[in-house]
Amino acid sequence: MIWVETIINGMLLGGLYALVGLGLGYAFGIMRIVNVAQGDFIVAAAFIGVALVPWTPISPLLVIVPVAIISFIFGIILQRLMINRVLGQDQIPQILLTFGLAIVLRNGMVELFGANSQSIDAGELRFMGFELLGLRLGVLPVLILAIALALFTLLHLWMRHTRMGRIIRATADDFEVVQLTGVNYRRVYGIAMGVAMALSAVAGVLLAMRGSFTPYSGADRLLIAFEVVVIGGLGSFWGMFLGGMLLGVTQLVALKLDPSSGLMWGHLMFLLILFVSPNGIAGLMRR
Amino acid sequence: MSLLEVENLDVRYGDFQAVNGVSLRLEEGQTVAIIGANGAGKSTLLKAISGLHPWRAGAIRFDGQDIAHQRADMITRAGMTLVPEGRRLFGSLSVEENLLMGQCSERKGPWSTDAVYKLFPRLGELRAVAGASLSGGQQQMVAIGRALMTNPKVLLCDELSLGLAPSIIGDIYRCFDTIRASGVSIVVIEQNVVQAVAAAGYAYCLLEGRVSLEGPTASLSMDAITAAYFGTGAAA
Repeated sequence: MIWVETIINGMLLGGLYALVGLGLGYAFGIMRIVNVAQGDFIVAAAFIGVALVPWTPISPLLVIVPVAIISFIFGIILQRLMINRVLGQDQIPQILLTFGLAIVLRNGMVELFGANSQSIDAGELRFMGFELLGLRLGVLPVLILAIALALFTLLHLWMRHTRMGRIIRATADDFEVVQLTGVNYRRVYGIAMGVAMALSAVAGVLLAMRGSFTPYSGADRLLIAFEVVVIGGLGSFWGMFLGGMLLGVTQLVALKLDPSSGLMWGHLMFLLILFVSPNGIAGLMRR
Repeated sequence: MSLLEVENLDVRYGDFQAVNGVSLRLEEGQTVAIIGANGAGKSTLLKAISGLHPWRAGAIRFDGQDIAHQRADMITRAGMTLVPEGRRLFGSLSVEENLLMGQCSERKGPWSTDAVYKLFPRLGELRAVAGASLSGGQQQMVAIGRALMTNPKVLLCDELSLGLAPSIIGDIYRCFDTIRASGVSIVVIEQNVVQAVAAAGYAYCLLEGRVSLEGPTASLSMDAITAAYFGTGAAA
């Protein structure tokens, strides 16, 4: 029974990991942009969350709404003012730009908030639990998984069934030809980056509620995001979701067996998947 | 004043001067053909006119407006769009979704999905199918339909017949009368000289980036076209 509980807790954590990867994977899938600063943006969003939680009515969880809106606007500005200027065949300028941004952001956060470990106060939610079929589960992790699932589903439906979703998919297919239908692809890229940032920001806030973070946590967050995206198979929504689950379950099961292993087994699982199927879970299904 | 006027256009493709001082005109309701061998600069010329490719010198006026160095999406919104070489459908979108993309030009006009399905009845049955899984001829129909859905005044067509069976090419060119009747003026570029000359009222022949021959198609002899096309003998 204790193992069932561990696996379920792994899935609860995995849903959040999947959300961490979603923003990165979404931006890459549409614009072929690898945003190296995504991890540090996730941490920055957590700091915004810390600042806004005391002002949030009803439930501290609702702080994800203002943080997502702020990040959406920030993503649009980032794309239109900076990343759109370095688009082209060569991906190195984008990587250098976002890498530089990551360093500026990280050091700015140390300067502003200090290097101490923090977390977002989720209030009594943090300690609430319930029994289900003899399993003891936390309310917060279950709510977080529900939010992650809801965001995956909403994004999927939005992309499939709305005019804007259709324009974004067409732009991802061929950004040059989409102009011949009257679409300014740079504007579309702005919106896509805004969405990617908003998703990452929600993930950042939820991570900071479950655990703690410092201004240096960005690198770990980015690594998780990369692993989720690669395990899932680039650009596949539900592949990413399964990828997150796999990482979460592996990590918690391994921690149970070997309490000092940290994230090592998760990373090993990532390497194993890459070895078996270089195109991730989505590639495995296509075969 | 012509609907589209191109004057002394110079376009470079990397270090290579692909288009060299080309001038052409398109009157309202007219169909103009640009013919020429592979590498004569036809595609580069159309890409420059549609705003997809930057150009160095010259002038392009469309509908009385100077459209020098405007973005391609602005030119489409102004009423001129391109059916690109190789069709280039949005592969992950269905046929209907591909067509609906044309509405992004936000132009009013006679073309709707229903009008396109009437023009190409086959597409109506395939509306839910992904663009990537169609045959070449069907893809070309979707590409033309997508461009018509922007309700253009000028339709630029790049090598419609490339890689298609002769019977399908015939089907596609037969639709030109309906397209013209809806008030669209057309520029076609073709390697297939016979097809292009039959479809157009006026033709330009490009050779190594320059106009080597032009005139009403009725007055151009096949010998003169052959000479201008290959650059043999005294052209025109």
